[in-house]
Amino acid sequence: MIKRLNRWFDDRLGASGFVRTALNKVFPDHWSFMLGEVALYAFLLLLLTGIYLTFFFEPSLKEVVYHGAYRPLRGVEMSQAYESTLRLSFEVRAGMVMRQMHHWAAIVFLAAIVVHVGRVFFTGAFRRPREINWIVGCSLLVLAMANGFAGYSLPDDQLSGTGLRIAYSIALSIPLGGTWVAYLLFGGEFPADSIISRLFVIHVLILPALILGLLGAHMAILWRQKHTQFAGPGKAEDNVVGSRLWPSYALKSTGFFFLVSAVIAFLGGLAQVNPIWLYGPFRAADVSAASQPDWYVGWLDGALRVFPPWEIRAFGHTVPGVFFPGVLLPTVSFGLLFGWPFIEARFTRENDREYHLLNRPRERPVRTGIGAGVISFYVILFLAAGSDVLATVFDVSVTGLLVAFRVALLAVPPVVTYVTYRLCKEAGSLSDEEVAPPVVVRTPSGGYLVEGERHGNGGDGVDRADGIREKR
Amino acid sequence: MGRRRAVSLVVAGGVASLCLAAPAPATAGRAATTVAGGDVRQGQELFVTGCSTCHGVRGEGTQRAPSLLGVGAASVDFWVSTGRMPLKSSGGRQAVRKPPGYDRAQIDDLIAYVTSLEPGGPGIPELQSASADLVEGGELFRANCAACHGAVGIGGALASGRRAPPLRPATARQVSEAIRIGPGAMPSFGPDVFGREQLSSIVRYVESLDHPDDRGGSGLGHAGPIPEGLVGWLAGLGALLLACYWIGERE
Amino acid sequence: MTETSRAERRTERAIALALVLSTVAALGLAVVYATGGQVQLEGALLGTSLAALGWALAAWGKHLLPSGPFVQQRHGMAETDPDPAPVSRLVDERTGEASSGPGAGADTEGLGAVGRRPFLVKLLVGAAGALGVAALFPVRSLGPDPGRTLFRTSWRAGSRLVTEEGRLVRAGELEVGGVLTVFPEGHMGEADAQTLLIRATDDDLQTRPGRAGWAPGGHVAYSKVCTHAGCPVGLYQVATRQLLCPCHQSLFDVIDGARPVFGPATRSLPQLALLIDDDGYLAAQGDYDEPIGPGFWERP
Repeated sequence: MIKRLNRWFDDRLGASGFVRTALNKVFPDHWSFMLGEVALYAFLLLLLTGIYLTFFFEPSLKEVVYHGAYRPLRGVEMSQAYESTLRLSFEVRAGMVMRQMHHWAAIVFLAAIVVHVGRVFFTGAFRRPREINWIVGCSLLVLAMANGFAGYSLPDDQLSGTGLRIAYSIALSIPLGGTWVAYLLFGGEFPADSIISRLFVIHVLILPALILGLLGAHMAILWRQKHTQFAGPGKAEDNVVGSRLWPSYALKSTGFFFLVSAVIAFLGGLAQVNPIWLYGPFRAADVSAASQPDWYVGWLDGALRVFPPWEIRAFGHTVPGVFFPGVLLPTVSFGLLFGWPFIEARFTRENDREYHLLNRPRERPVRTGIGAGVISFYVILFLAAGSDVLATVFDVSVTGLLVAFRVALLAVPPVVTYVTYRLCKEAGSLSDEEVAPPVVVRTPSGGYLVEGERHGNGGDGVDRADGIREKR
Repeated sequence: MGRRRAVSLVVAGGVASLCLAAPAPATAGRAATTVAGGDVRQGQELFVTGCSTCHGVRGEGTQRAPSLLGVGAASVDFWVSTGRMPLKSSGGRQAVRKPPGYDRAQIDDLIAYVTSLEPGGPGIPELQSASADLVEGGELFRANCAACHGAVGIGGALASGRRAPPLRPATARQVSEAIRIGPGAMPSFGPDVFGREQLSSIVRYVESLDHPDDRGGSGLGHAGPIPEGLVGWLAGLGALLLACYWIGERE
Repeated sequence: MTETSRAERRTERAIALALVLSTVAALGLAVVYATGGQVQLEGALLGTSLAALGWALAAWGKHLLPSGPFVQQRHGMAETDPDPAPVSRLVDERTGEASSGPGAGADTEGLGAVGRRPFLVKLLVGAAGALGVAALFPVRSLGPDPGRTLFRTSWRAGSRLVTEEGRLVRAGELEVGGVLTVFPEGHMGEADAQTLLIRATDDDLQTRPGRAGWAPGGHVAYSKVCTHAGCPVGLYQVATRQLLCPCHQSLFDVIDGARPVFGPATRSLPQLALLIDDDGYLAAQGDYDEPIGPGFWERP
């Protein structure tokens, strides 16, 4: 029966050759290669849950009076966006769990992307020929962050509205054209009337379409170039060792999709996220203590808190303080991130040929050290974003904490870089001697001889076709 | 701790000498003013023992503590019933809530005595639970209180090492008193700002925050995106990393 | 040969004209948009620009580039071997014979074929560029000109202070240590007009030189919009008479004209000069004397 179906399709598409090649395609199995899959499946869940939400959400700032199920807000004036989100959460069966799954999926989506980028970085998988895919991937990171921000701003609640105000101020701070950028984006002076409906189009149509397109490119390039792999027995620059797409990889991956969905489903039902009814509808003159953005924007919020009060005022113009942490820092950060393969290649000259075997992080002490230092920089910014919550929880002074973070921002990353570098050097020189057990042979005269030992050591080696690393 | 013991010793000594020196309390002169049933005489004894070292024997204040003349019943009730007074002697930037050092009757006595020193100051607010509007209370809370105490009343950080405390431990009475008197770093909201009905509404809303609507699942401490991000990373991504480790190869 | 080359040159000229027409139409479209727009003109100019560009490209492809016809083998769908060498051959249209001479079986000639006419290529780039720029102009419709709106709020001389519910504020109803969010009468809830009324002292307060009489009876009013990133500065610490912004922990000294003393804010909160009117209500002496809120390029 299947055979006949196959035959029917093949008669019309002539694809069976391609399909056979595809099903036999080999993918390496290392667990750290599955991180991108976590992100992919989280995105799939975002699409599925998101479609459901679009059937109920009203992207309008038109004021209505609430008469729904949540008693503490009955009779309160609020936007239709907020009201429809309340209705979805409290009165639509499965609405709350869908909404929470959607939000948790976004949180996990970005966490997975970040960990995946980290894996690619620390194993040098961005080297030639994968520079293009690195750029595609970094673009996906930026788009995902933007879409997450747009998404949680849609309900027009007090917390996300505060975040929109800050985003507006950051736009205003751009020299020369900032006021125009802010006014065109928002449709006028804050709060303006159009921002929610525009964010809706951005969040539901424009960014998902871009993400889908880039995701397609990301996987097509991966398919064409084949996945990288770690060095090991039987693995070389010119082969791929792992499972075939069909049946084992497909089944494992499909099973993994269900596991990802399961985790998000558990979170969606058991852990409350973004309880907008407790925050209240957005009011321009109100604000709450402990106002933070979702985690993946935390580095930006922390930067805003920690940057000193520097402003440029000259010749009748102002470059306001928010510009430096709010615009300049992200531009430089992403510029360095996008450009890393080219920056590194300038120093290592590793764009002379293709690289398909991965580095173990300790084999590249400089890169790993720099990466660890950069991560520590952003971790400190994240912590700074929560300084008021940390001060409350640990009963310390929030102003003291912020001063400490300023110092830490300058002092900690160099130390982390150096320590990591040293650790890599130590680990590289100690443990990576892969010595096969020596073959001891008894000579005819009765003595013992050790036959030629096979060495493999990590770091500074050239991969031979038989998987053995030769010292340079 | 040593300072506290020293103070107690001095006070005990003082009280002992007073008791020896003073005549036995005369029942006839007991027509002193009482507030909420408190006894001024007994209040005075308690005051001299526990408060006068810092606030002065007649509540006039010293360099260690402000004058209590004219503070009003609400002030005394709030500070003492929340245990913030007597102040923990181990320094600190602001008085913290702790188990009160006096029982209800003693607090009433203290109130009676302090208010007898000089009239004035907010009395203990009378709350009208019948006309308390939960919805209006929520709107007023979000507009006036959430900035310091948080939208769900978990408290917040202020500058100079101070904090706006979490609201769950406070009783309705204490909440209303705090709003009227503005203890510590908190501003005060008098009857012209919030009428009695509005005050009752706010108090009702604050009480409702003891059990916020958490039908979405575990409230995660109601501290917003920070615990959400932590849970997403540790529980969400963490579980999935374990799954990766199980499905994939390790070398 | 001269016939074809003359015909070619004529076609070249026509294409060049079409590209110029497309460019002019695109620029005209931009001008029409910038001067207010007109529906029929917008449609006509856009249509002309697109039509001219489209005709130019099609004519170029049809008349100026090798058009073959070329022939390539077909294989049945059911066959599993893909075509190993998908080369197409030039065919004579009249006889149907496929030629096998040099250059007759080559792959597509790549960009070279198009690039052989640099003048036309330049015109093409110009036309496409002009159309692209004109297409950006509708972005202007997304929002209004900022103009002076960032420099003004709704406060006017004599605007009485009201709470968010619209209740007038009498001088003296706020105790010392009290704080209230107020708006100009009739403009409750307006984001840029939000103002904090603080009873900092019980007597007239002068916070800065030149601000005598701004805070009658100790009632001092500051813009509630943080000069850092625009959050409402909602935390008033009575004990230290400071305002704390919860978003990024900027701290302002209420007695010293809301000067920033900690955190990332660079400028004081603008102060609203107050007066007590004949009925005893608090009112503003006029609008703020500087733009409220975060900075922007045009702010001096």
